[in-house]
Amino acid sequence: MAHEDHGAIYDLLAARGVSRRDFLKYCGSIAALLGLSESFVPQIAAAVNHGAKLKPAVWLNGGACTGCTESIAQVDTPDVATIVLDLLSIDFMETLSMAMGEDALAAAEAVFEEPGYILIYEGSVMQGFDGNALRIGGKTGLEELDHAAPNAAAIVAVGSCAVDGGFVMANPNPADATGVKPYLESKGITTPVVNLPTCPVNPEWLVAIVVDVLLLGSLESGAILDKLDDWGRPKYIFGQTIHDNCPRRGHFENGNFVNEFGTEEEALGYCLYKVGCKGPQTYTNCPIVRWNRRTSWCVESGAPCIGCGNLNWVDVGAPFLNRHRDLPLPSVGNTQPGVVAGVVAGAAALGLGLHAVGMKVTGRMDGGAPYEEMKAHDKKRMQKGGGK
Amino acid sequence: MARSVVDPLTRIEGHLRVEVEVNNGVVTDAWVSGGLYRGMEKILLDRRPSDAFYVVQRICGVCPISHGHASTASTEDALGITIPNNARIVRNLIEAAQYIHSHILWFYTLAALDYVDPVKALSADIADTYALAQAAGTGVSDFGAVAKRLQAFVDNGQLSIFTNGWFGHPAYAEDMPAELHLIGVAHYLEALEMQAVAAEIIAIMGGKFPHFMTSLPGGTTFMPTEQKLDDILFRFVKLNEWVTNTMIPDTLAIAPFYAGALGYGGGHGNFLSWGVFNDESFEANNRYMPAGVIKVAQGLTVADADASVLTEDVQRSWYDSATGLHPSAGEADANFSEYNVDDQYSWVKAPRYDGAPMEAGPLSRMLVAYLRGVQPVQDLVNGALEALGAAGRPEVLVSLLGRVAARNLETKVVSDWSLEWVNELIGAVAGGDSKFFEPHDVDEGMGAGLWEAPRGALGHFIDIQGGKIARYQVITPSTWDCSSRDDGGVRGPMEEALVGTPIIEVERPLEAARIARSFDP
Repeated sequence: MAHEDHGAIYDLLAARGVSRRDFLKYCGSIAALLGLSESFVPQIAAAVNHGAKLKPAVWLNGGACTGCTESIAQVDTPDVATIVLDLLSIDFMETLSMAMGEDALAAAEAVFEEPGYILIYEGSVMQGFDGNALRIGGKTGLEELDHAAPNAAAIVAVGSCAVDGGFVMANPNPADATGVKPYLESKGITTPVVNLPTCPVNPEWLVAIVVDVLLLGSLESGAILDKLDDWGRPKYIFGQTIHDNCPRRGHFENGNFVNEFGTEEEALGYCLYKVGCKGPQTYTNCPIVRWNRRTSWCVESGAPCIGCGNLNWVDVGAPFLNRHRDLPLPSVGNTQPGVVAGVVAGAAALGLGLHAVGMKVTGRMDGGAPYEEMKAHDKKRMQKGGGK
Repeated sequence: MARSVVDPLTRIEGHLRVEVEVNNGVVTDAWVSGGLYRGMEKILLDRRPSDAFYVVQRICGVCPISHGHASTASTEDALGITIPNNARIVRNLIEAAQYIHSHILWFYTLAALDYVDPVKALSADIADTYALAQAAGTGVSDFGAVAKRLQAFVDNGQLSIFTNGWFGHPAYAEDMPAELHLIGVAHYLEALEMQAVAAEIIAIMGGKFPHFMTSLPGGTTFMPTEQKLDDILFRFVKLNEWVTNTMIPDTLAIAPFYAGALGYGGGHGNFLSWGVFNDESFEANNRYMPAGVIKVAQGLTVADADASVLTEDVQRSWYDSATGLHPSAGEADANFSEYNVDDQYSWVKAPRYDGAPMEAGPLSRMLVAYLRGVQPVQDLVNGALEALGAAGRPEVLVSLLGRVAARNLETKVVSDWSLEWVNELIGAVAGGDSKFFEPHDVDEGMGAGLWEAPRGALGHFIDIQGGKIARYQVITPSTWDCSSRDDGGVRGPMEEALVGTPIIEVERPLEAARIARSFDP
C-alpha cells in the first residue's frame, strides 16, 4: 500500500492526535463527495504533506445569524474539532474563539499580515448606513472585509447570505446587504471566491472545499477555479437539481402529488411539487449528502424545498408554498393549469447567472421577472408527448 | 476610574460590544451595544404569513426553532387556529431538542472557557482525574488521550481558536484542581458530539438544523413512522443519560469554586417568561414551563404575564421611529448616528414591560416555574441550592452563578420531559390519531406568538390583511437582555447585571465577559 510512503503525514497527524484510521475514514468520505474513487485516498493523504504547519484561516461573521457556524458544528467527516484544531488553524472566529475584544482582533491581524491564508466569510456584507449596519471592534464590517480580503489566497463564502446577501437582501433590502463576490468586484479586489450557497451552508460542502484546497492543493494549481460554475459554485456540488436526485421523484413521474397538507397523499409521502417544492429549480445535492450527519433532509421530513440555495432566494422563492413554474405533469397532461403567476418576485431569474447579483433590486416587482419557462429536457419530453 | 471595552464579545451569537466603567476594581456603570441591523421586520411586509415561518428563523441560527414556532403561533393566534394534539407534541419535541442542543452548546462550547483554563489542564494527573470524575459522579472519558492531544496541540504552537486566549487569568479559580480543568476540556470535546445528536433529532422531525422546515401554520408536515419514532427516542435517551450523568455533575463540581458569583451579577431582579411547551390545554400558565412575571418590587412572587403592557423605547438606539410603541403598532426605522454612550449607542431597542426592564432566559423560566409549583423544577432547584450551601434560599439564584445553574438545571428538566413526550406521541399514534395538520382558509387578523427561546422570552406580533403581512414585529430575548438604556435612562438587564462585578484586570475584564455571556446573547 501507498500508506508507507506517507509516513510524514501520519506523523504530523499523530502529533495532533488524529489516528491513521480516522484520517483515512474521513478522506474516504471526502473522496466520495468529490466524486473520486476510494483509490484516490492515498493521493489525498499524500497531498496533506505541505509541511508541519497548518494552513492559517480566519472566519469572519458579517450580517450573520450564526447558522452557518452552527451548521459546521454538525459535521463528522471530520468533526468540527478536527477541522478547527487539526486541519486548519482558525485563529479568529467570533463564535468559537477563546480570545475576546482587542486580543481576538489581534489574532486575526497577525494572520492578515502574511498573505496566503484562507478567509471564510459567513453572513451578508452589510453596506447600509455607510457600513454601520454592522459594527465590529469600533469599525464597520466593510472595513474589516476590505482589510481581510486582499491578502487571502481564497475566500470561501459560506451560506446564501455570503453569496449574494441571502434573505437580508430580499426586498426592500433595508440594510443594503450584498454578497462577498459582488462586493469585492465593486471594489476591484480580485481574490478568488468560492461560493457555497444554501441557508445555512451544508457543512459537508465546506469540508469538501477544505480538502480540495488544502489536500489536493487545488488553489495553488488553479484547479479549484476550473471546478466553479458561473456563480462561483463548485460544479460537483451544485451541478444537479434536487429534483434530479429526489427519492420522491418516482411519485412525480407517476403523478402522485400532495395537493394539501393534512391529507392521505401527504401521509403516503407523495411528491411535494404542488405544495411549492422548489426542488426542480434548485441546484444542490441535498438529497445525496443530506443534512445533520446524513440523518435526513427537508423533503424527507415532509417539507417542500424552499430553494434556499438560489440567488435572492426569498424574493425568488416566496410564497414558498406556491408553485411557480410550468413543468410537464404526466397526470394532468402536458402542463398543469393555473400556475400561480404574478407573485414571482425579484430580478434574479433567467439563467440565474451571477450577474444577477449585482443588479440592484429596487422593489419587489409584482409580476416579477419570468422564470425560464421550462428546462430544456422537460421541453424535449413534452414534445415527445406527456413526459412519458 | 477606568473604561474597559470588550468588542467583539466572542463566543456568543452575533455582534456585541460591552463597555464598562471600573472604579476600585468594581464595575460602576456599563453599556452594551448590539452591532448588527438587518431589518427583518421590513423584509416580511407584504409576504404570506407562512413565509414568515421560514424567514424569521434566520434571526438566530442558534434558536431558529423558537422563532419558527413563535411566528407560526402568531399566525395561528391571528387566524384562530388550534393545532392538532399530535402537532403540539411534535413541536414540543423539536423545541426540546433545540433546548438541549442550545444549552449544551452554551455551557461547554461558549461559556466553559470562562471557567476552565485548558493550559491548567496540562498539569493534571491522569489517575487523579479518573478518581475526581468518579468522586464527582461525572462522565469518565479517555482523559489520558485528551491530555495527550492537548499537549500535542499546545506544543505545536498553532493554537487556532485558542489563539490569544487569556490563559492563566487570575479570575480563574485558583483552588480549582488541574484535574477538574482536564475533565472540563474532555467534556468540551464530548459536548460537540452531544449537541450534534440533539440536532439530529431536529433533522428527523424538521428536515435539518439549523433552520427547520415542518412547523407550518396549522400543525406540522412531519408525520412519524415507527422507525422515525425509534430514531428520535434513542437519541433523546442518549442525551438524557449524558445530561444527567455529565452535564449536571460537571455543573455541581465546578460551581463551588465560583461560589463568589452568587454574590453579584443579578441585575434588576425583574423576570419575564411567556411560557413554553404546551400541554393539552394550550394555556400559557399551564405550559410545562409556565408564563409569569416577577417584579423586584414584589420580591420573589409571580404574577400573570400580560402582553398588552409592552413598549419599545428607541431614543438611545439607532432608530428614527416613534418611541414607546406597543409592538403591535411598532416600527423600526433605522438611522445610524454615531456610537456615543451618552446618546445613541446600539442597534438594540429597549423593550419594557409596564415600563420596567425584564430579564429573559432560563433563570426567568426556572424562577417562574419554581414559584408556580412545577414539581420537577422545585425538586431540582432545591437539590442544587442544598449542594451550594443555600438550602431554602432561592433568592441567591438572582446572580451570575444562579443564571448559569438555572440554564443547566433546565436542560435536565426538559430532557426528562422529552422522554415523556416521545412516549405520549407513540401512544397517540398507536391509538389511531393520524391528524397532524389543521387546514385553514381565514386570511385576516392580528395575533401574537408568545413563546420562549432557549435564551428567553420571545414575542412575534403579526397583522394579516388580505392574506398578507401588513405589520410584523419581533421582540427577541436578546432585545430584552441586551437592551440599551430606555428613554428614562434606566439600564438594560445585562448592563444592570454588570454593575457591581469585581474586575481584577481592567485590560482583561474576564469577569464582565462572564456576566454578558451568562445571558447567552
